[in-house]
Amino acid sequence: MSFKRLDPEDFLVSSDSIVNTLWSTDTPTLTTFFTSSIQIASSAGTYYYSVYQTGSTLSNAAVQFDIAYADSKGSGSVLYNNAVPGVSPTKTIYGQYRSMILEDENSSFTFGKGTNIYTTDNFWVINFERARYKQSLFPGSLNLKLSGSNGIINLTDDSVDNPVSQFLGSTRVYQLISGSNGTAGSLANSGYVASSGSYGLVFPDLGTILLNPVAVSQSIRVSPSRSNNSDGLNNQKLFTAIDLGDSFTINSQETLTSDYVFVRARNSEFNYSENPSFISGSTGEVIYDDFINAPQVYLTTIGMYNDSNELVAVAKMSRPLLKDFTKEALVRVKLDF
Amino acid sequence: MGYLNNSVVTVDAILTTKGRELLAKNDGSFRITQFAFADDEIDYTLYNPTHPSGSAFYGEAIQNMPLLEAFPQETQIMKYKLATLPRGTAKLPVLNLGYSAITLKQGASLAITPQTLNYLGNAQAYETSGYSATISDVRLMSTFTGIGINTTAAQTSNAPITTTLGTNVSQTIIGSQINLRATTVNTLFGTNTQLSATITFVGLDSGARLTIPVLINKTIV
Repeated sequence: MSFKRLDPEDFLVSSDSIVNTLWSTDTPTLTTFFTSSIQIASSAGTYYYSVYQTGSTLSNAAVQFDIAYADSKGSGSVLYNNAVPGVSPTKTIYGQYRSMILEDENSSFTFGKGTNIYTTDNFWVINFERARYKQSLFPGSLNLKLSGSNGIINLTDDSVDNPVSQFLGSTRVYQLISGSNGTAGSLANSGYVASSGSYGLVFPDLGTILLNPVAVSQSIRVSPSRSNNSDGLNNQKLFTAIDLGDSFTINSQETLTSDYVFVRARNSEFNYSENPSFISGSTGEVIYDDFINAPQVYLTTIGMYNDSNELVAVAKMSRPLLKDFTKEALVRVKLDF
Repeated sequence: MGYLNNSVVTVDAILTTKGRELLAKNDGSFRITQFAFADDEIDYTLYNPTHPSGSAFYGEAIQNMPLLEAFPQETQIMKYKLATLPRGTAKLPVLNLGYSAITLKQGASLAITPQTLNYLGNAQAYETSGYSATISDVRLMSTFTGIGINTTAAQTSNAPITTTLGTNVSQTIIGSQINLRATTVNTLFGTNTQLSATITFVGLDSGARLTIPVLINKTIV
């Protein structure tokens, strides 16, 4: 017999969390930021700016994240139609996130918690490319520097200070605070801005950060234009703050499910080979007399078959494994999905 | 006193082309139920039972060899399976098809009844579980069926194909007799007058394996 049936206990499914760098530079921190004039000039540019790790015309350029500005009153961008006041791309963006996160068209976004909360009808959005963050952002790894006329702020999520998950609607959320590596440390107001709430909200499972313009403005004097029916260049303002900050650190996280199959060769099994060099001539005689009673074979390959004897998966050893009547083999085969 | 190495060997598996095809079908056919070992790449003539340094070095030229990564093409791997046979086996099972190569005209038929030599003390035997036959490009055959075996594996393997074949796809069938009929489709030939593929026969009990070439000659009208 050359096939051996597997028992139910030979299978094990294991799910493991894999944390990795998010940027396509394979480094934890992105220090250079570029936009594309072609993308900005396109119809998509009226909604969001795409940010690259290098010049957008270079062959290795890849979108790392997008920046957008949302305003419930439609301020900061040109109206779709002058006959319909207040309806512009920024209002569309606002409605998009309100629908997706708040799940209630009558609700507003609130930054902060406890007694220091701030409700606002506009915000900036940083939206990471799905291929970059894979399944979710890794809480505690966020370190974003924003630079403005009043200096630099270091922003992080509050996952270390408040490790119990909070939810907004059905979406996991952390507050964006002043600090580093998931904690405000000894900073005043627990990393919040006095009377303006937190700096924003971090949604790991959406790969999205919302920034509270009031808190950012109060801290570094970077604020969006809320003019009516004109392009306030608000996406450019946040991009400049990030670009001058020179440092954006965040990791991705995904759950990898692996199927382990334990294959076992008992001492009396798999001791002869159909390898043509194991036999001499066409009559099937083993090549060495020693191999009649003490065969030595070298296992190199493990094939996984279905009931129809079709080879569906295969694994190779890193080096040949000696098998004879005095040895048993136990090999764990890992299948990733 | 030293520590014993009690670690379990862990290897990463890849899906074969057939595995991906079955996974895409999503009909439950991608279900691992059995395994086999093989010693592809090993050349036993390198084993030296007269090594001057003694028996610990007989396999010296084999056991440290670097191995190649797995090939996803299922017809190119698991060629030489390890077999479970009684201790004292002097002759290993060998397949006898009666053919060393197959050449068919378009539309011609052939029935092959494999036999196994040196199996379970018999000079010649038909294996109880039958034989699998894998053709590397099933488009070359208008009929490729196995008969004579009624196991679940055989019934599953011999069910009609429901897949649209846009390229060369292998097919495995099971039976004690394998029936072939060459394709009558002219477009497969293009400007060529001949098509080629291979058929690999495996004894499902013994693990004995034999691959022969198949040639289909275009009928010129």
